[in-house]
Amino acid sequence: MGARKSIVALLIILAILAIAPFGLPRFYTYLIALIVTTGLLATSLNFVLGFGGIYQFHHAVFYGAGAYGAAIMIVKLGYPAWLGFITGPVVAAVLSFVIGLICVRLSKLYFGMLQISLGSLVWAIVYRWYGFTGGDDGIHGIPMPELIGSPFGSYYFTLIVGGLSLLVMYRILNSPFGSALQGIRDNVVRSQAVGVSVRRHQLAAIVIAGFFGGVAGVLFVVVDNSVFPDMMFWTLSLEITIMALLGGWLTFLGPLLGAAVVVSLRTFVSGVTDYWTLVMGILLVLVILFLPEGLLGYVFEVWKRRTSESSEVQQR
Amino acid sequence: MMLEVRGIQKSFAGFQAVNGANLDVAEGEIVAVIGPNGAGKTTLFNLITGILTPDGGQVIFKGEDITGLPAHRTCKKGITRSFQVVNIFSRLTVFENVRIAVLSQQGRTFNLFTPSKRLATKETAEILESVGLIRKKDSVCGALSHGEQKVLEIAIALGGKPELLILDEPTAGMSPEETARCIDLIKQLRTNMGLTILFCEHDMEIVFGIANRIMVMVRGVTIIQGACDEVRCNQAVQDAYLGGSDVCSV
Amino acid sequence: MDIISFICSPGVLCQVLVGLSRTVILFIVASGLSLILGVLRIPNIAHGSLYMIGAFLAFSVSKAFGGGITGYWMAILLAPLIVAALSFIAERAIFCRLYEREHIMLFLLTFAFALIFGDLVKLVWGAEYRTVSMPRFFQGSIPIFGLPFPIYNFFLLFMGPLVAIMLWVIVNKTKMGKISRAAAVDREMVGAVGINVSMVFATVFVIGCYLAGLGGALVAPIVNVTLGMDHTLIIEAFLIVIMGGLGNIWGALLGALIFGVTQSLGILIWPQFGIIFPYAAVIVVLSFRPTGLLRSTW
Repeated sequence: MGARKSIVALLIILAILAIAPFGLPRFYTYLIALIVTTGLLATSLNFVLGFGGIYQFHHAVFYGAGAYGAAIMIVKLGYPAWLGFITGPVVAAVLSFVIGLICVRLSKLYFGMLQISLGSLVWAIVYRWYGFTGGDDGIHGIPMPELIGSPFGSYYFTLIVGGLSLLVMYRILNSPFGSALQGIRDNVVRSQAVGVSVRRHQLAAIVIAGFFGGVAGVLFVVVDNSVFPDMMFWTLSLEITIMALLGGWLTFLGPLLGAAVVVSLRTFVSGVTDYWTLVMGILLVLVILFLPEGLLGYVFEVWKRRTSESSEVQQR
Repeated sequence: MMLEVRGIQKSFAGFQAVNGANLDVAEGEIVAVIGPNGAGKTTLFNLITGILTPDGGQVIFKGEDITGLPAHRTCKKGITRSFQVVNIFSRLTVFENVRIAVLSQQGRTFNLFTPSKRLATKETAEILESVGLIRKKDSVCGALSHGEQKVLEIAIALGGKPELLILDEPTAGMSPEETARCIDLIKQLRTNMGLTILFCEHDMEIVFGIANRIMVMVRGVTIIQGACDEVRCNQAVQDAYLGGSDVCSV
Repeated sequence: MDIISFICSPGVLCQVLVGLSRTVILFIVASGLSLILGVLRIPNIAHGSLYMIGAFLAFSVSKAFGGGITGYWMAILLAPLIVAALSFIAERAIFCRLYEREHIMLFLLTFAFALIFGDLVKLVWGAEYRTVSMPRFFQGSIPIFGLPFPIYNFFLLFMGPLVAIMLWVIVNKTKMGKISRAAAVDREMVGAVGINVSMVFATVFVIGCYLAGLGGALVAPIVNVTLGMDHTLIIEAFLIVIMGGLGNIWGALLGALIFGVTQSLGILIWPQFGIIFPYAAVIVVLSFRPTGLLRSTW
């Protein structure tokens, strides 16, 4: 799958989504906006996980940091919403730099475990700091600027910002930085031996991923007008990891697909039974056992087998 | 001297892998390091290139002390290497493998927005041309044969525009034809590109065939270094390494 | 000086002792986690769920034996064993097929089990909280530094070292332990000399999970047994293991001690954010020793 085809696919999807609100009930526009938000979150995670080979086990912290950064700026500090929207991702990026700096010296699983722990500290602080963060209630009814206050407005804002963020991440992954990052994923020692400073690139990747995680957090604020501590609880981090895995963590669009599947499944299964997490758990076991490359990975593999050798160049 | 190694040491959990090795490499030379298995040849290379940090001793490259410099910085100084066990970016294509090395050498890996595809294409193609892998450039390198992967190792090392190229058993596991081609390649690298080459190898025929000088290492210690004939006829070397048989007359 | 006299005051010491006895639970759970990490290299997220299941099972078993002292001992005995059996089934059915795969797959698989176990608990025991009655034998308290100190906490303080010693014996003195230590370092080599590595892994996994169940059963009388009790515990166990060194049992003990002391002091010093202190301890430890206090098996 050529790089250009990925972009074309993404643009087509965005075009379809752009006309969706005219034919769909309001609930579905909300659902799609939620999918785009979560998909951006999962893609930003996969930026470091699938393309960087970094065990970013607690990515949701940056989602929460972005959302809380925006919400607190708007509600508690009284700044204009647009300023809040910019602050959110910056806060997330700074936080990811700090956590990344502590973790990046460690290898793989050690890194992941420490990150889960440090992320949980951030969660615990947010959870307890009633005066500033609203504690376990979170912050609700965050006022939005008129332009994006309506469901239509927030939908298109989400779509545009989400789409742009995806394009930027795609561009970065295909830049020399992206090549170096994928090199580090495949072989750390070889990367060092060709002159790539592994930790510095990893840290930069973590900050970029954190930033876009924060953008996703802001989008959630726009869609839902609220924030709550569950947004940065570790279980959510692993859920988005599942999304990346389910969609295909070696593909760019996989996490978006995974997010679409998981978010829609949750919406519909939760309507039928209380045991959604059981369904999710079983789904995950099945994916790990039978679809280790994820849905898109599987599709590409089948497709590659069918087409001639010459087109096997890239499947991103 | 291009490279001087003085009394370098390294131990792992009490095991003294390298214990005061010395090595001189002059510009334009091909120098071989030989020694039995476990003599510390690979460790020595890892110490020179900064993959490992030495416990003691000095590494001087072009008059500059580079002891303990991390691998990504020794590379920038002009020392690149291939690995004994194939060590490549297995999910990327042959072309991308070499391009990463070239991009890194050009200091472009923090470029976030220019597509890689537009950069370093010419340099990468030249390198692949010179090692004879250009036809395979679009294959995912996990799918190459072992011999081709070993050549790719050298190509990646060339991507760093080295002055000193270190090859760790470049022909290990190659078929006889591949070995012959690889030897030609190494000779060409010196004559055409003017590289200084340091390598280690088990096959004595290859060693005496292409090296100007030889350093012999046994149990982490340098026994002797000198011209081929000098080393070949040294009694200590014959006792310790060549099995006591008289190879001087071979 | 103020701080020292504050720390040495009886109230504080007593508080620290109570904290330590809770730390014993953490140690028991974390040592199981560390054991599995050391040999199988899996950060078992489902470990917290097994702890929760242990606690719920303790409730059920104790009730089935009519509460009281018999019920309690049967709970301590049976609940961890049932947890171990459960983990054995999971290991043989699914985990053992995936040891060759990337660690992240195994890690996510444990998360899948955490999700499944969580909902199974909801299915079996419901969403409301349960309490395990403290047998009369353990009720009451003994004065220490002139302040009442609950008997059950003494019992816990006694259990900690007991488990530590038993683990030490298993790991260092049994053939199984020696093989598993060797397998932690080089599994191909152990397989090459004709030992069934798969069975070694299964045993280690089951012992580790047993410890999670034991922790759950021991904690049951002093907390509300409820859904979600696994969520924070697993993070605390992670912290302890990271601090002590992955795979090192004594490291888990040391980590648990540091965790317990910093947490109970932290809560006294700054009630709202006492939770920050153990994390600060971890960051301090790791900035000096990036791979934990004691030698990690990795």
